[in-house]
Amino acid sequence: MRNTSLSRLLPMALRQLGRDSRSGELRVLFFALLVAVAASTAIGYFGARLNGAMVLRASEFLGADLLLNGSSEATAEQISAGKQLSMQHARLVEFSSVIATDNGIQLSSVKAADSNYPLRGELKSAAKPFAPESPGGVPQPGEAWVEARLLTALDLEIGDSVEVGQKLLKLTRVLTYEPDRAGDFYSLTPRLLMSLEDLPATGVVQPGSRVKYSELWRGTAEQIATYRNLIKPGMAPSQQLLGAQDGNRQVSGALGRAERYLNLASLAAILLAGVAVALSASRFAQRRFDASALLRCLGLSRKEVMQLFSLQLAILGLLASCAGALTGWLAQMGLFQLLGDLLPQEIPSGGFAPMLAGIATGLVALTGFALPPLAALGRVPPLRVLQRDLLPLPASGWLVYGAALLSLGLIMWRLSLDLQLTLSLLAGGLVAALLLGGLLLLSLKGLRRLLAGASLPWRLGLGQLLRHPLNAAGQALAFGLILLCMALIALLRGELLDTWQEQLPADAPNYFAMNILPADKLAFAQQLEDLSAQPAPLYPMIQGRLIEINGQSVKQLVSKESTGERSIQRDLSLTWAADFPTDNRLIEGQWWTEKALKNQAPQVSVESRLAESLQIKLGDLLTFNIGGVERQAAVTSLREVDWDNLKPNFYMIFSPGSVSDLPTTYLTSFFLPPGNDRELVALARAFPAITLLQVDAILEQLRSILAQVTLAVQFVLLFVLAAGLSVLFAGLQSTLDERLRQGALLRTLGAERRLMIRTRWAEFGMLGAASGLLAAVGCEIISALLYTYAFDLTWQPHPWLLTLPLIGALVVGIAGVLGTRRSLNASPLTVLREA
Amino acid sequence: MNASILNVKHLSKVVPSAEGELTILEQIEFDLARGASLAIVGSSGSGKSTLLGLLAGLDLPSSGEIILAGHQLTRLDEDQRARVRAEHVGFVFQSFQLLDSLNALENVMLPLELEGRDDAGQRARELLERVGLGQRLTHYPRQLSGGEQQRVAIARAFAADPDVLFADEPTGNLDSHTGERISDLLFQLNQERGTTLVLVTHDARLAARCQRQIRLEGGQLVTEAVS
Repeated sequence: MRNTSLSRLLPMALRQLGRDSRSGELRVLFFALLVAVAASTAIGYFGARLNGAMVLRASEFLGADLLLNGSSEATAEQISAGKQLSMQHARLVEFSSVIATDNGIQLSSVKAADSNYPLRGELKSAAKPFAPESPGGVPQPGEAWVEARLLTALDLEIGDSVEVGQKLLKLTRVLTYEPDRAGDFYSLTPRLLMSLEDLPATGVVQPGSRVKYSELWRGTAEQIATYRNLIKPGMAPSQQLLGAQDGNRQVSGALGRAERYLNLASLAAILLAGVAVALSASRFAQRRFDASALLRCLGLSRKEVMQLFSLQLAILGLLASCAGALTGWLAQMGLFQLLGDLLPQEIPSGGFAPMLAGIATGLVALTGFALPPLAALGRVPPLRVLQRDLLPLPASGWLVYGAALLSLGLIMWRLSLDLQLTLSLLAGGLVAALLLGGLLLLSLKGLRRLLAGASLPWRLGLGQLLRHPLNAAGQALAFGLILLCMALIALLRGELLDTWQEQLPADAPNYFAMNILPADKLAFAQQLEDLSAQPAPLYPMIQGRLIEINGQSVKQLVSKESTGERSIQRDLSLTWAADFPTDNRLIEGQWWTEKALKNQAPQVSVESRLAESLQIKLGDLLTFNIGGVERQAAVTSLREVDWDNLKPNFYMIFSPGSVSDLPTTYLTSFFLPPGNDRELVALARAFPAITLLQVDAILEQLRSILAQVTLAVQFVLLFVLAAGLSVLFAGLQSTLDERLRQGALLRTLGAERRLMIRTRWAEFGMLGAASGLLAAVGCEIISALLYTYAFDLTWQPHPWLLTLPLIGALVVGIAGVLGTRRSLNASPLTVLREA
Repeated sequence: MNASILNVKHLSKVVPSAEGELTILEQIEFDLARGASLAIVGSSGSGKSTLLGLLAGLDLPSSGEIILAGHQLTRLDEDQRARVRAEHVGFVFQSFQLLDSLNALENVMLPLELEGRDDAGQRARELLERVGLGQRLTHYPRQLSGGEQQRVAIARAFAADPDVLFADEPTGNLDSHTGERISDLLFQLNQERGTTLVLVTHDARLAARCQRQIRLEGGQLVTEAVS
């Protein structure tokens, strides 16, 4: 028996592909793949690059890409390791010091920086208090930049000199912004920034003094990762590494959500790709039934016929995917060009990964979705050459579509790295397809009976749908899927943004007041009430360190680099309270009541994530070192804390009476509208011991990041919409032949344009409405799953989804009428030519 | 009463092609009386189907005039010509051209509904019974044989009582026995209803059943015969 090898089939496949390249269905398939790959590549690039940009912005919160902190100086090896990797380096030494002048003294947080600082972001300063700020620069030797509140506290002016230890420094500028200040604002006192060169002369830093040394590094992600691995083994217990992701809770929270959102959008694009490919591949196969039968007659085996057509599709898929990847790359370049003003100057390139992922996505989608129609080609009976109406036997659909679904699931999972998200999307899609598709099929068949009494356009339009009820159900599902993706994304976009915005309401506290002495408490609260509408309560605050859990030293209990590890390295802000904090949520145990507290041992409520990290359980006995005094308390409850709300939050809350005998200061936060700086100065003067911390700058940084994320979200939505519409048109194209024939015939029989347009409206409006209904139901089911399991949001029904059938009828109706307008203009002569 | 239903003067059709202009029909002239039957014969590519398309107002000539049932077709736009077809013209095609989405009855009702007639259902039923398909009213085209499909097409063609029936190789896709029966039906109905018949065919026997035959060669009318 003759055996046609693959090498002989290849030139044949190429020849046929070249000849068929002008045929409609190949163009549609090419276009569908191109759009899908372009969309997923562009979203991939956009996600990767935006993520990179956001990490860069997050780096600003550190002032660097990587921070090596320690209570002792970094070793020479640790420094030279970084320099050998050619990374940029800066050094900071921070300590608390009392600044003394003739007018008084003020405990200040001194930062000595070398001339390279900061490596990410810029310092901002002004010539005098409340003057316009300008970016850049760093204090020169002999100079100091200070925050305005230090000037207020000590009644100083720019040009005066202050003593830091034994060194006299001249105040040259007002420090208004430090990029890395956001990280740890609870422990701040007024800042004085000086040159590192002056540090030895101050004599402040002596062996044993409490000093924080920071080595700042800036480099590529690769360099940073290499450096991390290099120095990790040799790090002292007192040293810690901080990367951009650890920099700030609010930022990493926003990054996490944005990443999930972008993943969801690219998954939607992949699903759309599948729909487009399935539609056009099916047309590709149908139009090759005759050729397949002829080739079988001429002696080609089923396998060879399959190979021949698979080769054609593979070549086409590869070409379309490459073109799509290139288009996607260009599209995202254009977008970043457009967003130039809003995004940081340096945006990482994104590399080749999104392009390769886009191409792979296109090819896998082609394989998965083109397989069932292609398999039909192998089963075309050769007898079809004599009897044209002989169709191939139907495939074992479960197996073929199961394989397609599995490959799609795998690629979704690989791209999203989120099994839960992938599974809920796949499961939602499957359940929707089976249940809703079945329902749709039944109702379409039911419609047949109603048709008899309908007017001509309705009967013609619905007749077109009813001719192949399975196809119509499939199309409604496909368009339904597109609408569902768009609705889901619009819904999540609104929901997520609302959550982000709620996190930062316009009147979020913009000042923290700390070190309020017990004697000043009442007077300060009174004055604050006059200034601010709703100040937070005054919380007692004592600094203390957790040293033992159930008598065992915590240092032996926790792993390095965990939140727990960091929290036992430094003093925690501790408080006590009679009432449960309103923004917290009780996870386990019980909050104390005043009655129950009497005659009971001290109790403590622990923040749940810290408890998890330190493996603290209810009933554990914790030992704290508070200013040299050891105190014990039993854990009676675990709380979930919303760290994003910018209000005073505490890891540990003691029961009243358990630590209240120890020296205490008070802490609060409040909102002061901009433009009230004078009142603030008056407040600072009235209570000189109090430290006021402005968080406006931090809020501004957060808002700017949120603005970027919002923009990204909107752009991605636009892209999915464009992809969805292209797929819709691709679907319409695949039925164009039949419509052209029907249009020409109706014209021949004397139908006017108006009737034909009304027929189209009836058909596509009905299809769109059905799709919209499916989308609304599917969207509610999937959103409920996603909210509950993926995003941790409370789900509520969305009545506006009921407009989807109307939107579906309009969108699909308009697209349908536009997409098939060629058939309205079809020359009636076509009917004669076909004969 | 005007005896002429179809009048053709100086009719030419020229189309652009890669080698320049291609003349498909050149200076065709004839006149057809109401109720007459005319066969257009000629070899493949002689311009028969193009002529049929022009006569029915499916396309416009490059020059010349066609007057169909008193309407100067060359002066009408596509929608106006569609109205003329709905009122005066019926068609039978070689490949039947039934709408797959409609059943036999609905296919026959179609031209009546396009005309806006209320008795569409009843008339269509009568016609289908007349062509012997009274038992197949609700069958869809794919459930019917070729001969049955062509009978539905003939019923549809006569449904709106056309003045002129254009038939393009009406027996071309059928075996000789079925073809014979279909052409009998066609001529019977033609006589019963006094319809003018214009048909394009290769079949010499079918052509011979028409009162007049015109032969096209290279786009020109070369001979005319009267049976």
